[in-house]
Amino acid sequence: MREFRDDELVDFAVVGTGAGGAPLIARLAESGFSVVGLDAGPYYRPLEDFASDEREQSKLYWLDERIVEGANPIVMGGKNSGKAVGGSTVHFAMVSLRFRPEWFRSRSLLGYGADWPVDWREMWHYYGIAEQALRIAGPVHYPWGPWRPRYPYRAHELNGAAELLARGAEALGMRWTPTPLATVSAPRAHDHGRSPPCVYRGFCRFGCSTNAKQSQLVTFIPRALAAGAEIRDLAMVGRIEVGADGRVSGVHYHREGRWHFQRARHVVVAGYAIETPRLLLASATDRYPNGLANSSGLVGRYLMTQSNQAVFGTMAQEVRWYKGPPSLAVTEHWNYDDHKDFFGGYCWMAQGPLPVEWATIQTSARGLWGQALRDAMEKYNYQVGLKMVGEMLPDERNRVTLAEEKDQYGLRVARIHYSWGANDKALIQHALDQMQMSLEAVGARDLFRQEDDTNHLAGTARMGTDPASSVVNPDGRSWDIPNLWVCDGSVFPTTGGVNPSLTITSLALRMADRIRALAARSEL
Amino acid sequence: MSSRQPPAALLWATLGAVVIGGAGLALRSGRRAARPLPLALHPGRSSTVRAARRLNRAAGVLATSVLADSAVEHYRGSFHNRAMIAPLISGGLSLVVSLHGNADKRAGAHSVRDAVYALALLTGLIGTAFHLYNVGKKPGGFRWENLFYGAPLGAPAALLLSGSTGYLAERVRDTPRGRIPRIAGFPAGRTVAAATALGLLGTVAEAGLLHFRGAFNDPFMFAPVTLPPLSALCMANAALGPRRRQRWLTRALLRLTVCLGLAGVGFHLRGINRQMGGWHNVRQNLLNGPPIPAPPSFSGLALAGLAALGLMEDHPDG
Amino acid sequence: MAERYPGYDVLAKRNTPSWNAKTREVIDARLAVSREPRFFSPGEWRTLWALCDRIVPQPRDRAPVPLPAYVDEKLYTGQLDGYRYAQLPVQGEAWRRGLAALEAEAQSACGAPFTQLDPAQQDALLGRMQRGELTNPAWQGMPCQLFFEHRVLPDITHAYYAHPTAWNEIGFGGPASPRGYARMGLDRRDPWEAPRALPTTHGTASAQGHRSDG
Repeated sequence: MREFRDDELVDFAVVGTGAGGAPLIARLAESGFSVVGLDAGPYYRPLEDFASDEREQSKLYWLDERIVEGANPIVMGGKNSGKAVGGSTVHFAMVSLRFRPEWFRSRSLLGYGADWPVDWREMWHYYGIAEQALRIAGPVHYPWGPWRPRYPYRAHELNGAAELLARGAEALGMRWTPTPLATVSAPRAHDHGRSPPCVYRGFCRFGCSTNAKQSQLVTFIPRALAAGAEIRDLAMVGRIEVGADGRVSGVHYHREGRWHFQRARHVVVAGYAIETPRLLLASATDRYPNGLANSSGLVGRYLMTQSNQAVFGTMAQEVRWYKGPPSLAVTEHWNYDDHKDFFGGYCWMAQGPLPVEWATIQTSARGLWGQALRDAMEKYNYQVGLKMVGEMLPDERNRVTLAEEKDQYGLRVARIHYSWGANDKALIQHALDQMQMSLEAVGARDLFRQEDDTNHLAGTARMGTDPASSVVNPDGRSWDIPNLWVCDGSVFPTTGGVNPSLTITSLALRMADRIRALAARSEL
Repeated sequence: MSSRQPPAALLWATLGAVVIGGAGLALRSGRRAARPLPLALHPGRSSTVRAARRLNRAAGVLATSVLADSAVEHYRGSFHNRAMIAPLISGGLSLVVSLHGNADKRAGAHSVRDAVYALALLTGLIGTAFHLYNVGKKPGGFRWENLFYGAPLGAPAALLLSGSTGYLAERVRDTPRGRIPRIAGFPAGRTVAAATALGLLGTVAEAGLLHFRGAFNDPFMFAPVTLPPLSALCMANAALGPRRRQRWLTRALLRLTVCLGLAGVGFHLRGINRQMGGWHNVRQNLLNGPPIPAPPSFSGLALAGLAALGLMEDHPDG
Repeated sequence: MAERYPGYDVLAKRNTPSWNAKTREVIDARLAVSREPRFFSPGEWRTLWALCDRIVPQPRDRAPVPLPAYVDEKLYTGQLDGYRYAQLPVQGEAWRRGLAALEAEAQSACGAPFTQLDPAQQDALLGRMQRGELTNPAWQGMPCQLFFEHRVLPDITHAYYAHPTAWNEIGFGGPASPRGYARMGLDRRDPWEAPRALPTTHGTASAQGHRSDG
């Protein structure tokens, strides 16, 4: 790996190496820029470092203290943030779905949320590139939306839980499909290493110990290194430095017990919807007293998560949902398809919680403990469940701010305020009813609902075409400081009704192309 | 019938059936051996017997492939339906009688061999129906993913091919002295060539489907959808086209196809190694990796094709 | 209640392809957890044991999974959860305050330490904690409901269901790398998965088919 000295002026310092940072680092390096990617987490070698164990593998999550509040505080950790090179893609569920064309203009076409400043056809183009790069294993024909190219790998075999989703959907007359997943269904020879096909071990959300998962750690990170970028792990960026000219000049980061300063011509923040605003806010100076890129006052605002409610039940058959990727089948429901009385879309997927997570659902959704908990847990192999990923509407009041409390680096921790709106609740109730009908249709008994769960994040540095109502422009460049950029899910003006990671990666690929084009015109 | 392991009793039954079948053949052969050797008495029949033995060999190779493949796949399916033992019994018997036929240098069809081959044909047909039913009842019916992961439609067809090849062997062997071998009124060579062409195309479809499932991740995966179709074309031409003395191209392609089937075993062995854990994780990878016994189906069919060529050269029609 | 998966022991797979070296290391360490408190005081330790016995009651015919030891380890080594409700203090402080409050509640409700209440009394007290009905000043403003839901339940139940003993009880396949699973469908299992018990005419349970093997 090429290494840069701290005092070496690199073209780009990218803070964060996840779904947004990693592809950007790779593509910028491949375009000839000198790039350092900094990540607060370690650079894991999955074959040696990953155990088959829920508890041990929580080391992949961002578990540093964050304070949550509001009417519906967001449970942070494994379901929305990672602390490792590769970011949360090291432990994501690999679900790789596209947002729908109409949805990118939800304000103009559908009457809610905000329009994206990027045309859906452009996104479609980058989705295709991302799907190729991540060797998505998907169905031969995808049942929704406009034509898309064939997925590079074929879909995986359904497990019992996914088959029950499919049977339920068919009973209700709904379409379903094997979920496009970022884990290979056949061997993949990389330029640097290889991925054997998935062995269906079921620990996907606790890190893939076989490298079958096409996380950033095994796809764009090796590409970035090959192209001459440096990945600096265990480097927690605490502040972005602003020069006398008002432009950023580099980043202060904590590594090996002390603070360093990396000089850079451009700084890209790719820390996701909590750490990105946290860093921008923490970098406030006299010149920018409210934080960097925050003349609109919107840094940290319009935080969005996705509703992740579920219905569970018990089958007479053994399901043994711990086998295989947890979400092998999906059914998408976007509101303009079926004229519902709320805004936004959702999908639901088959489930496969491992014992600790299943116990959490029993204690949090049902309040079980004592012998009742043990008895419920013994039905583990007969459980089936459907879990939604639903769109929540952007609300200015849902936001990230800085608390007074400090973390282990001496940095102020994030305070996360979140409350659901009436539309969010209506969408959730609709989805829960539908999922319940689907489970009833396949003969599941003892149904119960998990009503409080959320996952994924978006917003807090939204992109737009107006500096007064957005933080960054359509290229991810901050309106206030021309050499400060944001490249992650923070820039989403709205969050869709499906998992966001493929969209984050596609946006990053687009941003890399835009930066190259701007550089070619000397507009960087 | 839930999550059951293969019942040991059924496995023993297969083995028993094979042994008994073999013993029956041996006894019958013993009785016949007392008579004068037909081959020695009727040297004019030597070419049809030779062709028949070639076809027995082809049927045997196909039966071996089916036996091993269905053993692995139905073990994977936990023998949840008792009928899943049928291809093991039928394939095993087919292998035994094929070995017998190969060793048998006499003319005249053999009733046990005939019966076993007919059984294989029937089992293959019923199996195909079973597998169609299995795929059709999955959610989504005959969508691609169910064709990939449901009961493979082409697998029982291989048993059908073994049976029909063996059956053709018996018909050829049954040719009266001095007559051109004919099957159902058609010249035997052309008939076998036609059957081979169809069998090859079916097997190509099967390999193509499964290699598509594997996203043709290795360039060699294109081989079984490239070479055998050419062989099948040549066979079709041999079956339907004008009489020709030399078919060196067809012969060369068929021989290559024989080799391809054997090389396929090697490639699939290598494929196991490319699965996670390789041979260390053999109990999973034998089931989830590329099927080792499948490719020799091509060899068996190509052998049948070569037998057809021999017949056509020895007994030119028209 | 009869065992659902008699004869199944996930640890028997330790030396098979189901466990990689890292997993062996991690589970070995888990089974070797320190049984002495390093975070809690002796008094808190006793209360915690009594609490764990109610949150996850364990059968008498086997050695209990030492749940307090895992809670203590989590606090001693500072393993965080990634979030904290604004109304709750940091985890160690929450536990100390919560256990002291539990003892105070036991004294005021039953006139005895929590450890000496009978199980029904203990459960009644915990039920009130879960419903947010406890208001003793010893809580010092910490909502007892949040403490129960976000400290007591996750810290104790996570420890239990991360233990191989619990995996055996519920028939979870356990560690799986490099070997995963081949048989994915409904009512199918690989030979290295837990065979479920079938009811027999004698009213006891026996392992279905042959025992699970490595």
